[in-house]
Amino acid sequence: MQSTVSKRSSNHWLKSEWLAPLNDTAAIDDLLSLVNPAWSLSEIRARVVGVVDETADTRSFILEPNRRWPGFVAGQYVPVFVEVNGRREQRCYSLSSAPGAERLRITVKRQAQGRVSNALHDQIKRGDVLTLGAPEGDFTLPLDAQPKTLFLGAGSGVTPLMAQLQQLHAAGYVGAVRFIQICRSSEDAIFRDELNALAAAWPALTLEYHYTATAGRLTPEALMEQLPDYADYQTMLCGPAGFTADIQAAWNAHGIGHQLKSEAFSLELPPPVGDGIEAEVRCSRTEQLFTAKSGRPLLAEAETAGLSPRHGCRIGICHSCKCIKRSGSVQNLLTGEISDAPNEAIQLCVSAARSDLVLDL
Amino acid sequence: MTAITLTPQQLESFQAELDQIRDDVRKDLGERDARHIRRMVRIARGSAIAGRSLLMFGFTPISWVLGVAALSTAKILENMEVGHNVMHGQYDWMNDPKLDGQTYDWDNVADAEQWRHSHNVMHHTYTNILGKDKDVGYGLLRVDEQQRWKPKHLIQPVSNVGLSLLFQYGVGVHDIDWGKALKGQMTRAEYKRQFGPFLKKIGRQWGKDYVLFPALALWNAPRVFAGNLAANLIRNVWSNVVIFCGHFPEGSQVFTEEQTRNETRGQWYLRQMQGSCNFEGSRLLHIMSGHLSHQIEHHLFPDLPAHRYPEIAPKVQAICEKYGLRYNTGSFLGQYFSVLKANFRLALPSRPAGGKLQPA
Repeated sequence: MQSTVSKRSSNHWLKSEWLAPLNDTAAIDDLLSLVNPAWSLSEIRARVVGVVDETADTRSFILEPNRRWPGFVAGQYVPVFVEVNGRREQRCYSLSSAPGAERLRITVKRQAQGRVSNALHDQIKRGDVLTLGAPEGDFTLPLDAQPKTLFLGAGSGVTPLMAQLQQLHAAGYVGAVRFIQICRSSEDAIFRDELNALAAAWPALTLEYHYTATAGRLTPEALMEQLPDYADYQTMLCGPAGFTADIQAAWNAHGIGHQLKSEAFSLELPPPVGDGIEAEVRCSRTEQLFTAKSGRPLLAEAETAGLSPRHGCRIGICHSCKCIKRSGSVQNLLTGEISDAPNEAIQLCVSAARSDLVLDL
Repeated sequence: MTAITLTPQQLESFQAELDQIRDDVRKDLGERDARHIRRMVRIARGSAIAGRSLLMFGFTPISWVLGVAALSTAKILENMEVGHNVMHGQYDWMNDPKLDGQTYDWDNVADAEQWRHSHNVMHHTYTNILGKDKDVGYGLLRVDEQQRWKPKHLIQPVSNVGLSLLFQYGVGVHDIDWGKALKGQMTRAEYKRQFGPFLKKIGRQWGKDYVLFPALALWNAPRVFAGNLAANLIRNVWSNVVIFCGHFPEGSQVFTEEQTRNETRGQWYLRQMQGSCNFEGSRLLHIMSGHLSHQIEHHLFPDLPAHRYPEIAPKVQAICEKYGLRYNTGSFLGQYFSVLKANFRLALPSRPAGGKLQPA
């Protein structure tokens, strides 16, 4: 209780306009970081205390967060900020460490065109400091105990499952646990040693691997055949969007959709729309929707739909209409530049949709 | 002033060549630009800490002078190289919330949000258009023959000095519709909307410079009060001189709304070029002017990081020469002398060389 009170009053002082610039947190953080880059009054920062190669293209970063870290629930992900050539980029990675542990772990697979995954692999070494956002996500274990649990993870989809598996183990879970990892080949299996060690100490845990290079893609039918009592499990599923959608559909068809929780990640860029096709644009703050024709400025399209986003010059110079594009792809009509990555700043008056979009409006 | 006219084909290639300069810089933005602006933020901050400490803890006149020098340097750097440029969105591409053009606030009585509107939207879109761009004379001065002469202009050599001393307040009231306010035609709500943010910001600035820091200095309060006042005055005069060199030297052109109706981007570029003036000097002078020493480049590309302007200036100048346009530049003092000369000359009634008088 004591700490809550003091925290609130310290935040109050930090936000008071009348104390500026004495309470300029950006300036204080900048000075603090000269002493220790992980110290901050406002940001969650974490020092990289270990880097572990899980496979040829997947690497785990062991992180020691500062006191701003609020803790997390197994299955959640954390936004990670890195600066790549002057640009602050943000991507979310699932936490693969046990929730109570002092140190956090994120496990990152290198993506062919991924600016952030490549920067993490190539730039970040032991001793560096990363800025994190608050953990998010509702892909968490059900609160009531289930008799049996099935973990189904494809590719780097095993990362949140690893945190959940450790949580179940720590909680003294007595039911049967199956952990099926789907990956290209045995060289691509993540956390193999760790899983083996856990299985040795925990007889209820059964580990299985499905290698797509030799056995092909795991279809729902094959899975059900392999695991005849699939309907008895609480299933936690994480993997690429196509894979999770197939499994979810099969579970729904068998009337056990409620026994499955899933999280999907999509690696592909949003599909660009062709000329003359209309994209659906969602404003994430106001929950308003509008359609935008490709090649037409988003500002004009929003206004046609009756919305009135903040704007100024309408010719791309004043930046009044700047907003953050959460997802999707746009083209700058002045310069031809394409913005594909999530969370990039765009100017509505000179940007046209190339795909469905989510805007921070 | 003879207006340069380009053929439609010339205008098209003129536009394309300038677009190319912009695109080349945009493609090259990165680490170097991020380092530059963060360095400027740090220098301004360090200078402010040094200046305020000298004023607060020093006791000799020398430390007072040094304190004022450091604090005015901090305010000039923060307002001009950091604030002005960041609030233009020049560093929006970095996605750094601390350098976000829409939310940045500066050490100046002008409310950031109102300034973004009066400056980024009005001044930069409608540059030098009589009746639209309030930067043409700041509602106080006659800076071009084409502005209609009024009796108040007789004292403009004096009002010019007054404006320069109180320049931050002049900038602060820029977005306010004075015509309406003075005639008493403003509703209460409108009055609150227009004056509220400015008055609130004055309160914060005065609270900081004339209450908080003097109070912290205890018996040194008068010393700190006077030092902060001096630093604010120096910043006011400096920014006024720099900014006046940007559009008011001889040869800079003004336009009418009619002339600029339905203009293309090429014509817009042309107007920016003909209405802006540079001055030459060292790198230090460029930085202390927030690179407004390159007003021409700034007006062509207001959202490119300003420290890039000296790099692209030779290319812009070459384009000017190619199309027979004047690249209005000169020494810092020469340009300001030209501003003062015009200020005196235009205090008296005169007719534009071209013919009829224009409104306001």
